[in-house]
Amino acid sequence: MASSALSKGKPTEESSVEQKVPDKNRIALRRTLIGRFVRSLIVAFWVMFIAFSLLRFSPGDPIRLALGTEATEETVAAMKAKYGLDQSFFVQFYDYFTGFFRGDLGTSFFSEREVTEVLRMHLPVTLMIILLSMGAAVMISIPIALSVALSRRAAVTYFFRTSTSISLAIPGFFLALLGLLLFGTVFTWVPAAGYEGNFPSNLKYLWLPALVNCFSLVPILSRVLHSSLMDTLDEEFVETGVIRGVGKLKFYWSYMLRPSLAPTVVLVSYMVGIMIGGTVVMEMIFSLPGIGRELIEAVSTRDYAIVQGIVMIFGLIVVFTSFIGDLLGYLLDRRVTLS
Amino acid sequence: MSKKTKTPRPDGTLGIIIGAGMMGALLLAGLLIPWLGKYDPDEISSEQLLSPSGTHYFGTDMLGRDVFTRVFDAVFVDIGTAFAGVLIPLTVGTIVGTLLGISRNRKVNSFIGSLIDGINAFPFLIFVIALVAFIGAGLSSIILALSLVNWARYARIARTRAVVVNQQGYVEAARTLGYKPSRILFRHIIPNVSSETRAYALSDFTIVIIAVAALSFLGLGVNPPQAEWGAMIKDGANIITLAWWNSVFPGLAICWAGISVAVFSEGLTKRIGEGNQR
Repeated sequence: MASSALSKGKPTEESSVEQKVPDKNRIALRRTLIGRFVRSLIVAFWVMFIAFSLLRFSPGDPIRLALGTEATEETVAAMKAKYGLDQSFFVQFYDYFTGFFRGDLGTSFFSEREVTEVLRMHLPVTLMIILLSMGAAVMISIPIALSVALSRRAAVTYFFRTSTSISLAIPGFFLALLGLLLFGTVFTWVPAAGYEGNFPSNLKYLWLPALVNCFSLVPILSRVLHSSLMDTLDEEFVETGVIRGVGKLKFYWSYMLRPSLAPTVVLVSYMVGIMIGGTVVMEMIFSLPGIGRELIEAVSTRDYAIVQGIVMIFGLIVVFTSFIGDLLGYLLDRRVTLS
Repeated sequence: MSKKTKTPRPDGTLGIIIGAGMMGALLLAGLLIPWLGKYDPDEISSEQLLSPSGTHYFGTDMLGRDVFTRVFDAVFVDIGTAFAGVLIPLTVGTIVGTLLGISRNRKVNSFIGSLIDGINAFPFLIFVIALVAFIGAGLSSIILALSLVNWARYARIARTRAVVVNQQGYVEAARTLGYKPSRILFRHIIPNVSSETRAYALSDFTIVIIAVAALSFLGLGVNPPQAEWGAMIKDGANIITLAWWNSVFPGLAICWAGISVAVFSEGLTKRIGEGNQR
């Protein structure tokens, strides 16, 4: 993933100044963008199909499981008819697929809750954690990558690479437990339980999970940013900037960060997937009412309709954000070739 | 990449030695614990929640079992599961990806290609959790789920690489010499494709070690009383303020394993030279 994002940042021309894009280029670009979009749609279709098939290919009868062992044949058949499970595979998929566009993802086999209702209630918490983690990770990564790239000493780079890969090797759930022990019990900076949904007050529940997520995000982000900064440093315009004696802030931003940002932005969008996985674990440890906890709960009770809906939504979120990331990457750096 | 040549750089040998040594020591300890250990890993005793001491190096857990013995009893469970969870998708993904990369059938290619993208779109841990939910908890289903999810990532890498390798001079030469397609595939193309996927497998190994423990931590892994790091952390999590050693030592074991692989692969990457990779 990292390498594909990196290769996109490879400058194709010497100069970064680009006043007029030739018309032919623009048409070709529009075509690739449309191609990307169509491809995302196809992948989104696969995502729905895979999530849907999970339930149908699973061993055992989910309805019988939901009803328990004492259920009679008639009640099982009635339940199946109610959920449309007596239809053929493709009819069921058609119903599910069209239902998606009507905002209907089915209902839980146990609690009669609608899947969309579960998502509406719990997804905001998860998205909030992801957003916070991402924001914090970007804020931490930029200064680290900048200072390592500018120091240009082999020992610093070596230390940077080693410490980032060590940080990646520490499991987030273990770190979260230690954090909870330290900040929850010793310092009591984190409330032990409970949650408030409103924006400023929920921060005191969410800052620690977001910080723990950063331990896996910052290494990846700062490494990619670092290597694209190193590529930028090779460009002639950086030397020009130094010679012209541009102010520090302007130099950091316009000459270094701005041209190196595209691969990182593309990567951030790809990393949403990793984030979601980490966030599920965080929700379990910090008992936050997010969608991840619902997922684990549904998994342990075998509430397949909920599992299927949550898995599909997460897949679609990843497809959507990667597309947006590619788009942003292009807008940030017109030299990006969409492959 | 000329800017990195000015000062001599550590060549990575140290990383390889440290990484391999750390992993070797862990595996050795796992191997020796049944012979040298003073306790049975699953034996319940009345000495509950003793803190670490000379007799119980890592203390005891809620059932009076020796944590030291259990941490090392779990080495082969964790590392073995993770190893299988990397090896199977590596093999399957490399073969499928290579075949896709050299096939000329555009329809099959774009069909399976988009399926691969579809599988890769799912967040890794979420998809594994869901699959384990459908096939049932346990170590073998974790391996199965890891394989079902991860082969697609290897296949994507292998496909991109195979397209390049397939156009190389030595493959053309082998074709011109009239070698059998199967010989060209196994002797010329796959070895060159798999150097790339094996490099990815090494960095994936760390992720999978953590994922296996995370799944057990979430209650989807081993059945008790089998010792396993993630499950031990989970059992200790509720009493962490009372007896921190129940969670901390298995956690450190995961860190040890993960760091050994990370340091090893960092050293190897450096050794091979950054210019050569990709």
